[in-house]
Amino acid sequence: MIAQALMDGMIAGAMIGLGAIGITLTYSILRFANFAHGELITWGAYLALAISGGLGYLSSTLTAPIGPFSFGWSLPLAGVLAVLLTGALALLADALLFGRLRARRGTVIIMVMASFGAALTLRSLLEFIFTSKPAYYTKALQIAQPLGGGIRATPDQMLTLGLSAVLVLAIHLLLTRTAIGRAMRAVSENQQLAGIVGIDVRAIIRVVWLLGAGLACVAGIMAGLLVQIRPHMGHDLLLPLFAAAILGGIGSVPGAMLAGLIVGLSEAIAVQVIGAEWRAAVAFVILVAVLLVHPQGLFGRRA
Amino acid sequence: MTGAMLSTEALVAGYERDLPIVRGIDFAVQAGELVVVLGPNGAGKSTLVKAMVGLVPIHSGSVRLREIDTTSTPAHERIRRGVAFVPQTENVFAMLSIGENLLVAANILPRGERDRRLRAVYGLFPDLAARPSLKAGQLSGGQRQMLAVARALVVEPSVLILDEPSAGLSPKIAAEVFRTLKSINEAGVTIVLVEQNVKAALAIADRGVILVDGKLRHEGPAASLASDPVVAELYLGAHRRAAVVPA
Repeated sequence: MIAQALMDGMIAGAMIGLGAIGITLTYSILRFANFAHGELITWGAYLALAISGGLGYLSSTLTAPIGPFSFGWSLPLAGVLAVLLTGALALLADALLFGRLRARRGTVIIMVMASFGAALTLRSLLEFIFTSKPAYYTKALQIAQPLGGGIRATPDQMLTLGLSAVLVLAIHLLLTRTAIGRAMRAVSENQQLAGIVGIDVRAIIRVVWLLGAGLACVAGIMAGLLVQIRPHMGHDLLLPLFAAAILGGIGSVPGAMLAGLIVGLSEAIAVQVIGAEWRAAVAFVILVAVLLVHPQGLFGRRA
Repeated sequence: MTGAMLSTEALVAGYERDLPIVRGIDFAVQAGELVVVLGPNGAGKSTLVKAMVGLVPIHSGSVRLREIDTTSTPAHERIRRGVAFVPQTENVFAMLSIGENLLVAANILPRGERDRRLRAVYGLFPDLAARPSLKAGQLSGGQRQMLAVARALVVEPSVLILDEPSAGLSPKIAAEVFRTLKSINEAGVTIVLVEQNVKAALAIADRGVILVDGKLRHEGPAASLASDPVVAELYLGAHRRAAVVPA
């Protein structure tokens, strides 16, 4: 029972980790907690749903399940387009709102309140377009396969875990081994000095929005694939996302992923040990404990 | 100002429009010169050089690089045009390694040039070459200053501007920094140096300018400024007056 709970926790943690990477990147470079990040997750999921539905309408062969998975080629194809569109949505929000506030030297609290406003607007718009009725990428049923040790997982769940690991490794390598990654870390540490050495800080900010939104979209598609798609799905993930970003240490990609797994596992164990009604409290307890005991998190730098 | 490598004309600059710190300065440095900017605290030395590199808003007047107006050029474009700046504090990326600090700067060079320039800079600063993977945050004050200068030199700038590079350093390390700056200048790099260490700065400079209350009050060859009574009055006198003002 506990082993299965750990597996479920890992899967939930992988989704939380991917979302938390976006939060930690935007927080470390844009210097504010973006409460609209949950809405990027939701919009990513719905954009993939709409595009996947459109592709399925054009060609029914695209909806035929791929191998052991529950979905056809329409979903991965839609996922690629949805990642690009969610990135474009984030850039639009920056151009219309956050960028203008930065230009006016808006304080952190102004930016945070603006992100609350953006979140409400984006969520309401989704409910208006898609209604609040839950939606699904596929109606196909999947049988969980035994993995040994009493643990079972569906092929979709295994794919989600594997894809999360690949994405985290890719983002980590991007940040540590490439010129754009070094520039992002430089901007995160000192924007003025970054400008002096020739880094176009505004271009880096655009890259961060694209990366964060892209990862949010992937997390949304994963959540939609494994659970369901709802207009509040991203908003409901916000607390675990921030708990993971802060526990991992702001700016640390491996930290965000590891902390996402810790939060996911803690929630799963809490459901088993204390009761399902306490699940939501776990992330809050972790968040408060980290802020009180070790505010720089597992891998963050000291203020 | 004709033919100057870097110049300002009637420059008015400061963080607030109604409170300019630099108040109408005409300043020029010729190619190959080492010019030191002196003056008492609050004279506007740092603000002048920061305005020249695009870090402080310019309210009126102009900045020219080789006669080309760069007044509104963004800071990140100035380095591409050959103007490198080393701030007084927070002048390296502490979380990045020595090698990464240099690579970040080298990124604006053509791909084929980067290795050559990195080798050249490591040759100038062998201490840095010995441990390129060390985090810059673990370096001593003097080593950080050397890394900041090395980072600025990676791009082979035409003009190197430094804001109080000896601040906070021991006399021995500061002397090493000044020796390094002199050799860089002798290699052909034009240098503008803001300094509080008047004697040491004038010893390596070709020329000095003295700012008081945001205006250029006096200038001349470094050798004569060192013994100029006007300098003593403008610069040291300000300190003496401050010292006798009751709290």
